[in-house]
Amino acid sequence: MPTVTIDGVQVEVQKGATILDAAGRAGIWIPTLCYHPAVSSQAACRLCMVELDRGDWKQLVTACNYPVRRDITVSVSSERAVKARRGVMELLLARAPENEQLQALAKRMGVTGTPWPTVSVAQRDCILCGLCTAVCEEVIGRAAIGFAGRGMDRAVSAPFRQPAEDCIGCGACAAVCPVGTIQVRIHEAEGEVEISPFKSRAKLLLCEQCGARVVSVPVAEQVLSKAKIDWEKFRRLARLCPECRRKSTAAALALAAGSPSG
Amino acid sequence: MIADQEQLIEVIVGRYDGDEGMLIPMMQDIQAECGYLPLDQLRRLARRLQVPLSRLYAVATFYSSFRLAPKGLHEVTLCVGTVCYLKGAGAISEQICKEFEVAAGGTTPDGLFSYQPVNCVGACALAPVMIVDGEYHGGLTSETAMKILRGLPAEAQPDKTGAKP
Amino acid sequence: MTVLDARRVAGPADLERERQALRKRRSSAAKRVRVCIGTGCAAKGSRKIYAMFAEAAKELDAGVEAVTCVGCHGFCERGPIVVVEPGEILYQRVEEPDVAEIVRETVVGGRVVERLLYEDPATGEKAATADQIPFYKAQERIVLAHNGVIDPTSIEDYIAVGGYAALAKALTTMTPEEVLEEVARSGLRGRGGGGFPTARKWRSCRQAAGSPKYVICNGDEGDPGAFMDRSLMEGNPHSILEGMTIGAYAIGSAQGYIYVRNEYPLAVRHLRGAIEQSRQWGLLGEDILGSGFCFDIRINRGGGAFVCGESTALMASLEGRPGEPRAKYVHTVESGLHGKPTNLNNVETWANVPAIINRGGEWFASIGTADSKGTKVFSLVGQVVNTGLVEVPMGITLRRIIEEIGGGVKGGKAFKAVQTGGPSGGCIPAEDMDARVDFDELTKLGSMMGSGGMIVMDEGTCMVNVAKYFLNFLRSESCGKCTPCREGLAQMLHILDRIARGEGRPGDVESLEKLGKLLEGTALCALGKTAANPVLSTLRYFRDEYDAHIFRQRCPAKECRGLFNYEIDPEACKACGICLKNCPVDAITGQKKVPHVIDQSKCTRCGTCLDKCPFGAVLKV
Repeated sequence: MPTVTIDGVQVEVQKGATILDAAGRAGIWIPTLCYHPAVSSQAACRLCMVELDRGDWKQLVTACNYPVRRDITVSVSSERAVKARRGVMELLLARAPENEQLQALAKRMGVTGTPWPTVSVAQRDCILCGLCTAVCEEVIGRAAIGFAGRGMDRAVSAPFRQPAEDCIGCGACAAVCPVGTIQVRIHEAEGEVEISPFKSRAKLLLCEQCGARVVSVPVAEQVLSKAKIDWEKFRRLARLCPECRRKSTAAALALAAGSPSG
Repeated sequence: MIADQEQLIEVIVGRYDGDEGMLIPMMQDIQAECGYLPLDQLRRLARRLQVPLSRLYAVATFYSSFRLAPKGLHEVTLCVGTVCYLKGAGAISEQICKEFEVAAGGTTPDGLFSYQPVNCVGACALAPVMIVDGEYHGGLTSETAMKILRGLPAEAQPDKTGAKP
Repeated sequence: MTVLDARRVAGPADLERERQALRKRRSSAAKRVRVCIGTGCAAKGSRKIYAMFAEAAKELDAGVEAVTCVGCHGFCERGPIVVVEPGEILYQRVEEPDVAEIVRETVVGGRVVERLLYEDPATGEKAATADQIPFYKAQERIVLAHNGVIDPTSIEDYIAVGGYAALAKALTTMTPEEVLEEVARSGLRGRGGGGFPTARKWRSCRQAAGSPKYVICNGDEGDPGAFMDRSLMEGNPHSILEGMTIGAYAIGSAQGYIYVRNEYPLAVRHLRGAIEQSRQWGLLGEDILGSGFCFDIRINRGGGAFVCGESTALMASLEGRPGEPRAKYVHTVESGLHGKPTNLNNVETWANVPAIINRGGEWFASIGTADSKGTKVFSLVGQVVNTGLVEVPMGITLRRIIEEIGGGVKGGKAFKAVQTGGPSGGCIPAEDMDARVDFDELTKLGSMMGSGGMIVMDEGTCMVNVAKYFLNFLRSESCGKCTPCREGLAQMLHILDRIARGEGRPGDVESLEKLGKLLEGTALCALGKTAANPVLSTLRYFRDEYDAHIFRQRCPAKECRGLFNYEIDPEACKACGICLKNCPVDAITGQKKVPHVIDQSKCTRCGTCLDKCPFGAVLKV
């Protein structure tokens, strides 16, 4: 197993683990934005830059996807690495200057502001990290949203800017978005969930007892298709929300416990 | 030309043995047939190849040669590569956009021509160069370029690039 | 023109027999006319000229053929080019009315048409053949040897001049390891800009675990001003196929791809035709030359994205995805196309391989410098007298290329800089004209050799504008995936736009340098990492121009609108009144017969007067 010496701390990692993994083991924090353990690392945000010692020169690499295959020495706190990370954060702050999550992360990094004006248009502070598209494709398996355009015009979008047809309203994209661009909105009156800004809507399954929201219908269908359960059977099983189900099970048990036959 | 639009996708996918890696050539073939990438054909393609529509949209919007809206009667390409640019192609491009009210990659409001500035067509000795319906025009000035465009006939011309499959 | 029916050659001996027969046939033609139909000459109407020659040939006695060749005889400035055999008489700037005269005088009569010969602008001397023309004298044409000589749509022509002999030699008398050794001996380095040692790349791919292995030819030549690969693909497609097949044999690959830029339709056509012919002859596909080795090639056209010249972006494109680069911490020779070991090389790199196998690695290594072997094809363009493609030994000086071969700067203007390496490169000023051109020397000067584009700029070129042009180009071609390239380029462009408008501020240069350094260190791919080079190199050598723009709101080269003045030359002014009428702010005064004058305090420097003046009496000062 290779050893990573990171800011002087030595840790052993599995071959193929990343510098970020090693840093985690060593208890050293490296800022990230587009990294998430559930999806593949694209290293698009360039925030996790660290310096790799190559003997006669030092190379700046991204920690989240650099694979450790032999003993290496890495510096997270070198001047060059700190400067690189600061530079990237300054560009991001210029893109979305009002974003709270970004500001909080910057603060933690010791970056207080940005010297740059805002020259790009960010759709609701989106920093194009790609986590939403990655989770939708790799984990949920729907790829309802994706990137569109190129360069400055790159944006996350549902195909043809119409409501995303393949969206099942699970909200995984909103869960992984690091800057709060994506929001899950519940429309009580219509009994629908909406993923904003992709304009996709899905009907919600409601508890027959209390009317509470259980899950979106397409999510339920997706789960069913993978678990090979009959929809009608599922409806009978799932017609109650977890709370009501618990109550009805308890009532049934109490009845059984209190009955003369046992 | 493939006569049956319903069968278009089958024919094109068949050309490449259904190989998903040949997605871009497939989309180029669709565009060669239809003049642009119609949404319904892309939907069919997505279904046929079992590829998410979002990927087709990503590809269609990433590469400059794809159009999601019908093109004009004529196809005008202006080289704005370094040499052409230094010889005035930038100014010519601006003038074209202004006079004909067309954006780069778009079509004139009257549908007369689609305009695409490109970064170098490899004919640098002729700079500045404009290609109209496959025909090259070199050594342009603002005057001569505008003259050519103003004189475009209001009916379609055959493509002279010989690039169609 | 197909001489013999296409048929599979059973083995090397069979191929040789065919070659001899084709040679005999070719030389038995008493006369031949070669007409260039490469994109450059075709754009000047050479196809019509070719058709006219073909017509004329029909009406003459037997023994005359009209052969189509691709230009990139290289001398694009002088196209359309026509060469008549025997004698290799080279005619330039041929027009339709000249065809009849050439047929009558040269083809039939054996006389030279003086006025169509090349005439040296400096000495007035005429040259009847290519080797007498200064443009060609200093060149050493290995890769371009047969451009302009053979018909690129004819495999028979290629075989007649020795084609596929290298492949036969490699497949039947050498082991893959021996082929690798030969290429290693040659010292060949990648010609696409990276300059990576080719044999080393091949070997890594050969040794990588996994199958199948892929071989790719990068024909996505995107540097504006560079058209070397276009001419090779159009003019000698078989040389590329042969090179790839030899490489595939050395590496252990059975499938190759040629990725051709969408904007090169003729190259696609000629490559497709070449592949088909090659397959028919048994020189591609199953059991090549009866050796048992199988290899086939497929062509993919690009979709219109400069970034697809980057190897991982190209591979993404081949997988049917947007051309977004990915990290190269694990090299593509280990995990490339579809996650398999993949060897990617540039068009020109592949085209060098047959010659290396035929004449030996040592021979190749005897040309060039210590670390840069062989020749390089450059596209010499811009403000130079002789625009075109040149192939020269590595180590030749910039001065020789620009002055001796290029004929110097057009219009007698002063040389200012030569831009090399495309958007990843930089500008080299007059004081470094004696720099030797190879992989390392230009890098020391802040530029790079790149894929071979050389854009000559004269005193009328504003270097701030050049930097802005390249940044704009990169901004529109950036894939947008990574923060520094996408946001950083926008920030740099924002600053340069301000400077070019006369709104520069103290600290702007420092900001540009800071952003440039950030991009270099943190961008994901080479496009982003080198994006600041044009800015940084112009800052290095032309700082005074930037300072003039920023601190004095002045463009010394008089290109940036608003940053220089207009004046009317009283000697040239004819007092026609057109400028006066068109001035949007009525800043011009004058009457009939009195030279007009511009009131500088009112003038907004829009430039309308200069555009409208029919006598060129408005001067930029």
